[in-house]
Amino acid sequence: MNTALAGGGVDARGFMQRHGVKVFVAAVVLLFVYFAATTPNYLTLFNVKTIIRDAALVGIMGIGLTFVTLSGNFFLLSMKETAALCIIAFALGMANDYGFVISLAGALAIAVFTGAIQGALIGIGGNPIVVTLGAAGILYGVASWWSDNLVISYPRPHDAEWLGTGSVLGVPNITIAFIVIAVIAELALRKTVFGRQVYLIGANRSTGKATGHENLSMAIKVCIVASVCCAFVAVAFSAQLSSAQANYFSSEFGSSGDFTILVIATVMVGGNSIMGGYGSTLRTSLGAIFISSVDNLMVLKGFASGARVLSVGLMIVFSIIAFAYLRRGRRSEG
Amino acid sequence: MNTGKKTILASAAAAIVAGVVSLNGFAASIISFNGPAGEAYIGKFIKGIKATAKLKGYEIEVYENQFNQAEQDQQVQQVLAAGKRPDVFIWWPSDAVAGLGSLRALHRTGVPVLKINQLPNEQDKKYIFGYAGPDDALRARNAGLMMVEAAKVKEASGGKGFNVVAVTYPQSYGGYGLSINAFKEAIAGSGLNIIGEVDEGFGQANGYKGAAKMIAKLKDQGIHFVYGMDDAILTGAIKAFEEANYRMGEDVIAVGTVCNGDRQLIEEGKQYGTTLQSPLHEGQLAIKLVEEYLKNGELRNYINFTPNPAVTKSTMETTALKGYDGKAYTIEELCSGAWAG
Repeated sequence: MNTALAGGGVDARGFMQRHGVKVFVAAVVLLFVYFAATTPNYLTLFNVKTIIRDAALVGIMGIGLTFVTLSGNFFLLSMKETAALCIIAFALGMANDYGFVISLAGALAIAVFTGAIQGALIGIGGNPIVVTLGAAGILYGVASWWSDNLVISYPRPHDAEWLGTGSVLGVPNITIAFIVIAVIAELALRKTVFGRQVYLIGANRSTGKATGHENLSMAIKVCIVASVCCAFVAVAFSAQLSSAQANYFSSEFGSSGDFTILVIATVMVGGNSIMGGYGSTLRTSLGAIFISSVDNLMVLKGFASGARVLSVGLMIVFSIIAFAYLRRGRRSEG
Repeated sequence: MNTGKKTILASAAAAIVAGVVSLNGFAASIISFNGPAGEAYIGKFIKGIKATAKLKGYEIEVYENQFNQAEQDQQVQQVLAAGKRPDVFIWWPSDAVAGLGSLRALHRTGVPVLKINQLPNEQDKKYIFGYAGPDDALRARNAGLMMVEAAKVKEASGGKGFNVVAVTYPQSYGGYGLSINAFKEAIAGSGLNIIGEVDEGFGQANGYKGAAKMIAKLKDQGIHFVYGMDDAILTGAIKAFEEANYRMGEDVIAVGTVCNGDRQLIEEGKQYGTTLQSPLHEGQLAIKLVEEYLKNGELRNYINFTPNPAVTKSTMETTALKGYDGKAYTIEELCSGAWAG
């Protein structure tokens, strides 16, 4: 007999089983708020803009990847390589005086083509991890070969600068683009037939198939969306630096770790279901901003890169565990 | 077997050996283990090493890894398992400490090993016959001295006591300690004070992110100078300062190293200067040392650095250095970033 209950006390063990994850998440949030409030220059308008700007590029790619994950096709491991090929295409266009529009169109066309091929291979039954791992090698190889491993630069001023370095009322255009893309993506998921199909196929592929929604066309569409987001990031990044190189997105030594892993982290930390059918691009956007916030806080606190890479890893692991428990709890309550 | 038959067989064997040598046709063979050609600096290094080897009549095989010591270790095992025994191994470890086992394995074959790019440490000294590569300390020291010169000019126009932000390599990277210490020594007592340091990582993207955070943290204290541990990092940092409405060259003066950034930034005065570190030189020097070793059985100098002259807007057009192949190279040919004309 549980004497605590019999005496009208609290069943601590039962409480922790039911609410342990929520308590843990609340503790993390409180800890974060405490450090944020006590760190000089952290909660300033300038720094908040810095955090969102920092999250923008990886966040845009994360939004694209969310469509793939929600549709039940896991992840594309070729995100940074797609961006690498697109940035080379764009920069070569700019360096050869084709101008912003044609160079952008070239990069987008490559993204659509490579996304469609990967989507088709996944749609006919290929394992997304294996397919995109292979695609990553091919795309990066083509980018390296095409650029002869050189930095492709084009002189300033040029007609892409507005995107890379411009701002409106002090807000960088890349940040604005991130917000606009996040809103459009969320509306597309919530308010369009395509969006509802993404959730349906992701939640239950058999039901989707029975109702005439094949994964082949869905896989092609979501891979194109993800690749186009990669192309946009590539173009914006090149426009900022007025140059490109195949390895611009390879930050193996960076505090953020590998770029593709960081993009996947935004999806996971946002709480999207790795199995598909549950989540949103809004969650991914917030995941990107949260990772950026923590990284920014750690820099302001004086942490070196090793500790910051560790924090990203821990965020991914804890997010997966916490959101899995929360979803399980919700299902059992329902 | 009579003498006549022996003579015929010996002649045949000599002919076969001679045939093999002439078919091969190379004065010596080299195997180089290094990073990926996709990285601008290493890409140019590989071009330098291959071109100079060809010039000297050497056969060279290059094994690239993606900044991954495990991958490089596997390549070493494959080469050794295949029984390949060149005249010299060239060793550019991805991680000098973690790669020590592979270096030891190369040494055990009896083939001499030349280490490049990362200074020898106490552990790996006994496995190599020499070093060719950059002098991280001298490169950073020259950048520091250049910043001191720029500070003197700024001081003459009324300022005093300047704050410096350093955007660096990851602290775990071998060259970090040598660079930052030499830079600090060079600016000591000059009125330049490092008020912030961020080790976001390599490349433009990380330079941008690191600098943006430093600006948020330190802008109230006033930032007057920024030191980029290399120009690629500094290129990103300059963009962050510009986005925060700093006028580069006026509000903030940027000094970098390596010459792997953006020529236009120096032309526009947004970057004060850099110290040259040419991957082309590094590749050529490696082959020159291989030649010296094969000829003499030892090197005159165990440590051999590539030159690190300072380059500013006023000197960039006239900067040219003689390569180890005897030809003169312009700055566009020597630098490794967005420098092609």
